[in-house]
Amino acid sequence: MVEKLIEIVAGTLRVPPSTLTPETGPGDLHAWDSLAQINIVSEIEAEFGVSIPIEQVAEIRHIRDFLPYLETMS
Amino acid sequence: MSFMKCALLSNVNVESIARQIERHEVHIAQGFGAWTQELADPASATLSIRPSSIFLVIDGTELLRGQNGLQPMLAELDEQLAWIERAAELSPGIKFFVSTIDVPARTLRAVKEERLERRLEEHWQKGIAGASASRANVYVFDLKQLVEEFGRSRFYSNKRWYLGGLRFSTSGERLIAGELERILDAQMVARKKCLLLDLDNTLWGGVIGEDGIDGIQLSETGAGARYRDFQLRIRELGQMGVILGIVSKNNEADALEVFETHEHMVLKKDDFAAMKINWSPKAENIAALAQDLDLGTDSIVFIDDNPLEREAVKNALPEVTVPDFPADTCELSSFLERVYKECFFSIESTEEDRKRTKTYLANAKRAAERTTASSIDEFLDGLRTRIFLTRVRDGDFGRAAQLTQKTNQFNLTTRRYTEQELRVLQSTPGASVYIASVADKYGDNGKVVVGILRQEAPDTVELDTFLMSCRVLGRFIEDQILDHLVAELRHDGFSKLRVRFKPTRKNAPARAFVERLQGGQLVSSDTESGEQTWEFDISKASPITKAAHAELLTKQELLAEVAS
Repeated sequence: MVEKLIEIVAGTLRVPPSTLTPETGPGDLHAWDSLAQINIVSEIEAEFGVSIPIEQVAEIRHIRDFLPYLETMS
Repeated sequence: MSFMKCALLSNVNVESIARQIERHEVHIAQGFGAWTQELADPASATLSIRPSSIFLVIDGTELLRGQNGLQPMLAELDEQLAWIERAAELSPGIKFFVSTIDVPARTLRAVKEERLERRLEEHWQKGIAGASASRANVYVFDLKQLVEEFGRSRFYSNKRWYLGGLRFSTSGERLIAGELERILDAQMVARKKCLLLDLDNTLWGGVIGEDGIDGIQLSETGAGARYRDFQLRIRELGQMGVILGIVSKNNEADALEVFETHEHMVLKKDDFAAMKINWSPKAENIAALAQDLDLGTDSIVFIDDNPLEREAVKNALPEVTVPDFPADTCELSSFLERVYKECFFSIESTEEDRKRTKTYLANAKRAAERTTASSIDEFLDGLRTRIFLTRVRDGDFGRAAQLTQKTNQFNLTTRRYTEQELRVLQSTPGASVYIASVADKYGDNGKVVVGILRQEAPDTVELDTFLMSCRVLGRFIEDQILDHLVAELRHDGFSKLRVRFKPTRKNAPARAFVERLQGGQLVSSDTESGEQTWEFDISKASPITKAAHAELLTKQELLAEVAS
């Protein structure tokens, strides 16, 4: 699951997956700006068929923060 | 491949779309509400970077925000259209791709109420279609079509809109970016020229040699309609200027009978520039056909239902494009649409393109005549060729650029130019861009020659570019044109002409031309690239040795002829 997340984030940011860990977040990479944050949320929602409430998008500070939403997947 | 510099303007946030386009340089405006100001102000960030193209991707909902009532909304659309037209008028060197608009229902309403959205979309569409028809530099970017094909509910995203002013979903953005890239690529990449088709189980269902003319599947409705619809699409490609040909293993008489007598055949014999219907290996036929039509095999796309035939052609001629045939023949039409987009897509079809298959047919007739004429000189004189040579003017920059992009065989330097670069060059002191069209007793070949002269020193002019479409090769037209230019240069007081030749894999005809020029001094020669520069003293003699076979008219002479 984490690998898949990293793959999606890497694809959106156009960086090699090897540069990312579950701890990576918006503060760590120049490419991960607010626009990239929205794109990452959209891609993860589409890929896993989940919905991340708008209020919580800003709360995501690390790749691992997406994991709880994936647990809601059916 | 080099890249295009373009600007993407919108009334919503399109930064994320711009980021996806990696092959080209895409500029976006700061602040996305300001697209009309960006267009109106020649000093704006968008116009001052001098993009070759400007894309206007316009969101219908935002465009009409806060407007109410049909008349005020139509007036608002007209006002925006007027801004776009004005910008297009002020910057003729920039191509404007203006999107159609999609207007989702704005309010909840009862079934009986009128759907104003359709009228607004149509009003806008008519406005930009009108601008596109009347202005060479305005094109329609069909955003509405993308929305419809993909489905509106998936094309937009509320969450992205509320989070960042991003109207489209990531899928929607990908579709828009893909379309933009395709349009930009089409201006850079040489598109394919020729589509070769198999017959059995490709243009019709079944095998003519076995099933007979009454047994093959080809009909207006029902199962045979898959092939008829496929043929309709192929004919459209032909009308857009793609050269069509047949390569089939069959008895020629059986196959021709279908073309001549089957009532549901859409494609006729005349739609094809060449047919190879025999039992030879297809790769041999394709190579021979390419030679007959003077085409490079790398400009050919080959469609065949038989995977073994496809494999054999791919192995023997790896430069030929051989798409996989759809497993489900219900998909034939959409398959051809994909082939069009991938191989033949062009932002416009010029007059020359539309006439191309006809031209190739006429060429075949000329070739037949060549074999009967007793000498080549007699043959050439009998063609009654007329050359019309002028400096490139407004309407011709597009065609001239297209020729520099596509011509490979008779091309001395193979320098590719965009329309905008040629415009700049033409207005540069000491530089001159010429174009010539060629007609003969069989018809008009259209504009097929481009020459660019640049002054290098007070007495010296360099031939920066000299190219000619291969359809008129072998008639010494190039010799006659250079001879004329030399005479003009001498008249203008120049005494030296420099001719550059840069060898490529394909331009042997250009080498032959340079080799038959006389009196040249080799002034530089690069051992690595093989590039040579020859200098000719033109103060007394011309480097041309070949006798003229055509009548060469310049603009002044044409005017005099019309007057008399």
